[in-house]
Amino acid sequence: MTAVLEATTSTTVEAPRRAWRSFLRHRMGVIGAAMLGIALLVAAFAPLIAPYDPYASVRVNIGDIYQAPSAAHVLGTDDGGKDVLSSLLYGARVSLVVGFSAAAIALVIGGLVGIVAGYRGGWVGSLLMRITDFFLVIPDLALQIVLVAIIGPSLGTIIFVIGALGWTTTARLVRSQTLSVRERKFVMRARAIGAGDAHILRRHILPAVLPLMLANMVLVISLAILSESTLAFLGLGDPTVISWGQMLNFAFDRGAVSAGAWWALLPPGFAIVWVVLATTLLGTALEDALNPRLKRHHLEAPGSDVARDRTVPALVPPLAEAEAPILRVRDLSIEFDVGGRSLRAVDRVSFDLRRGETLGLVGESGCGKTTTVLGILRLLPPGGRVVGGSVLFDGEDLLSLDGRALRSFRWTRLSLVFQGAMNALNPVRTIGDQIQEAIRLHAPGTSKADAARRAGELLERVGIGRRRANEYPHTYSGGMRQRAMIALALACDPDVIVADEPTTALDVMIQAQILELLGGIAHDFGMGIILVTHDLGVVAQVCDRVVVMYGGVVAEENDAATLFASPQHPYTQQLLQSFPDLAHPDRPLRGIPGSPPRLDAMPSGCRFAPRCPHVFDRCVNEPPLYPAAGGRASCFLLDPAERRP
Amino acid sequence: MTEQLLRVEGLAKTFPGRRSLADVLARRPAQPVRAVDGVSFELGPGEVLALVGESGSGKTTVGNLLMGLMAPSGGRVMLDGAEVGRLSARDLRLLRRRVQMVFQDPYESLNPRMTVREIVAEPLRVHRISASYAELRTRVADALTSAGLTPVDAYLGRYPFELSGGQRQRIVIAAALALQPSLLIADEPVSMLDVSIRAEILNLLSALAREQGIGVVMITHDLSTVAAYADRIAVMYLGRIVEYGPTRAVLAEPRHPYAQALLSVVPVPDPSFRRRPVILRGEMPDPSNIPSGCRFHPRCPLAFDRCPTVDPPLFEVGPGHAAACLLVEEPEAAAEPARRLG
Repeated sequence: MTAVLEATTSTTVEAPRRAWRSFLRHRMGVIGAAMLGIALLVAAFAPLIAPYDPYASVRVNIGDIYQAPSAAHVLGTDDGGKDVLSSLLYGARVSLVVGFSAAAIALVIGGLVGIVAGYRGGWVGSLLMRITDFFLVIPDLALQIVLVAIIGPSLGTIIFVIGALGWTTTARLVRSQTLSVRERKFVMRARAIGAGDAHILRRHILPAVLPLMLANMVLVISLAILSESTLAFLGLGDPTVISWGQMLNFAFDRGAVSAGAWWALLPPGFAIVWVVLATTLLGTALEDALNPRLKRHHLEAPGSDVARDRTVPALVPPLAEAEAPILRVRDLSIEFDVGGRSLRAVDRVSFDLRRGETLGLVGESGCGKTTTVLGILRLLPPGGRVVGGSVLFDGEDLLSLDGRALRSFRWTRLSLVFQGAMNALNPVRTIGDQIQEAIRLHAPGTSKADAARRAGELLERVGIGRRRANEYPHTYSGGMRQRAMIALALACDPDVIVADEPTTALDVMIQAQILELLGGIAHDFGMGIILVTHDLGVVAQVCDRVVVMYGGVVAEENDAATLFASPQHPYTQQLLQSFPDLAHPDRPLRGIPGSPPRLDAMPSGCRFAPRCPHVFDRCVNEPPLYPAAGGRASCFLLDPAERRP
Repeated sequence: MTEQLLRVEGLAKTFPGRRSLADVLARRPAQPVRAVDGVSFELGPGEVLALVGESGSGKTTVGNLLMGLMAPSGGRVMLDGAEVGRLSARDLRLLRRRVQMVFQDPYESLNPRMTVREIVAEPLRVHRISASYAELRTRVADALTSAGLTPVDAYLGRYPFELSGGQRQRIVIAAALALQPSLLIADEPVSMLDVSIRAEILNLLSALAREQGIGVVMITHDLSTVAAYADRIAVMYLGRIVEYGPTRAVLAEPRHPYAQALLSVVPVPDPSFRRRPVILRGEMPDPSNIPSGCRFHPRCPLAFDRCPTVDPPLFEVGPGHAAACLLVEEPEAAAEPARRLG
């Protein structure tokens, strides 16, 4: 399933193009960038736009002070009789210079501290992080006031003080990013190559950290501008330059409020809000686009997961049978919305599962096997939906159940053991507790004692033993956790268990234990099991029947003995040839050249045609649909019309 | 005896154990974790050795020791007569040119921001090997060709995310080959790959051994993948090699009960294949608490009275084939408990 999506969207956070597109999606970020751009232009061209030079000394008449806006002074005049608009435009220069310079200082300090703390670790890292914590908790403003008061208010002092106190968030961000990159395998590989720290930092760590630092810098700029305004407003600004905070300070100090001169107060306030808003919007958008941890799911909003309005012509006519299978999947088709397109991930898949039978669903990753079972369980991720077919469970169509009916159906009749499920246990509750919860959730009448007894029995059955019911998941090994998950799946006595790669991450001996357990359960409880796996050995060992999938369709279906003895589809044949077989160690192994088709580039004819050694012209033009092509495999070679000598 | 490329003698690695709060309060010392506990083997040029074991058997630690990524607590690793663990930082860098590693996860072990050209050239740049840009290009192209990525030009400018898992693993191999190493350590080189691709990668590794005389140590938990490719197999259990020998001999007639059990549970893609699986109960004990005597005895279906007290050495059972089990010396001792197997 994940592989399917990966194949179509190539989910690499790192690709610059993707980051750019993702940034453009943040409309607010674009607005912020535009607003900041305007502020920068104003600052750069202030001398050209401003009607007066606020730094020029002019003779002030008493009548010039606090003049209301007029044609000569669009925003009126201030306490010194100077043009407010001109001061405002010049003030942008100071605010932005302070903002950018202080942020640059903060970025350098924070970046160094973060990289060293993250990369070195150990006591150096701890010490640096404690220092960072110290700076984080002291009230910035109070310290800034004290420092500026001691050193004396000048523009340089203000920049230095704001920068030297504003690096803590950058340091923490950079450290956590460095830590995570340092642990990545490609850094380990670089070390194994023999690369030194300098090389690793330069080639591997910095490129991963820089974009985040940049995004963070924009946010630091906004804080710095705000700090400068605050300091200036409090009378700690550099008296020789005009900044927005300074303008506010003078206006307040010198009676603008009592004079009702709103034009001396509102414009600088508005300018501060403008720039801070611009940088915040931009910074947030950049961080969203670049920080993988904040990345949201890029698929479309979840709609209904079933939309069988598409016309998908059925391949299998409905048939009546005396002994109905517990699960009957007919023409199941599933699509994903990716980048505005609907891509068919599963195309008219049909199979039956009888009670007590174990069915293997096999194929390479990306062939749609997990998507198929997720569709059956109605657990498709957002953006995916069933567009056709039916899933009859004991005569009831699962695809037409509403949410409530579906919830009670899952687990009581149909439960799931999935890949890596051992990590899905709640770490802060005991195993026994979690099993009891599942029992009581689906059978509310059960008493606590009954539930506990049943949980004990289940743990006994899966070979854990009831004694360990009161332990927490972390005391269990990986194999035991997977057993606990099986106990959990059995809790409500389901008719069918879907096991998706249940042994993939486990050692061979543990795998053997789990497979023995699953086989025993199918036998003892008469349950149907769907086993999704890529391991043909596992299939041969435990499955009664096998469905081979390729490119979202059923390539071949048969009982296990026949399928392994005489595979019909060239894909099945090649898959078997590529699989190591300890019983016949002399048989040479051959891989299948090429890779499975991508969802967005499905061949129009047979999906295996590009990799098939027996391909002929009909395969390229026409899809051989199972079982229409005859036999139990979807291949034209089996069509009597194509039989050749 | 032919000239050996790699000689490992009594290799051991002990990690400081973790103490629980109770241990600290009771002033109990930490139990050291004996991850590797006396491992010896040899490897000639062009030979493929499979180090097989479950997780916790110490096989990955052996790989890291061979790479010089950590220092051994005991024993030595000799590469072409030089001892790996005792190298200065400068010599260690030279060693890295001789020993290269192929990692398990080709999705994670390539820097997503670098192109194929940069990735394969990186080791050459790190070791400042290529004098000229032209030479660098030639060596990168040679490495890619050796790894089966042709035509080379189709790959050079691409990023890892544009490549399939099998192609990515070939890039990892090409980067390792760029330095023309004499020893390749492949840690689970195919376990993350699709079945259909595994054979290609394993064929590539064994071809490199055969044609370029590179020694390959393949670390894996999967006996079936190495069966067709390894010249010799070493089965590890709890930090020690319990059986060692030519692949054919070990597969046809495993002598250690653990090797027998391991072999008996490997899934075989043939439903008609009949055998009696020996499914061991429980899991491998914690390496901070290694059982007395034979370390396998608590789980051994054939254990007898002497097993808890005698730590068996490797007994020769055939040409180049050895097993660390007392039953090799006294086969009749198993007569009684053997019935329990049925």
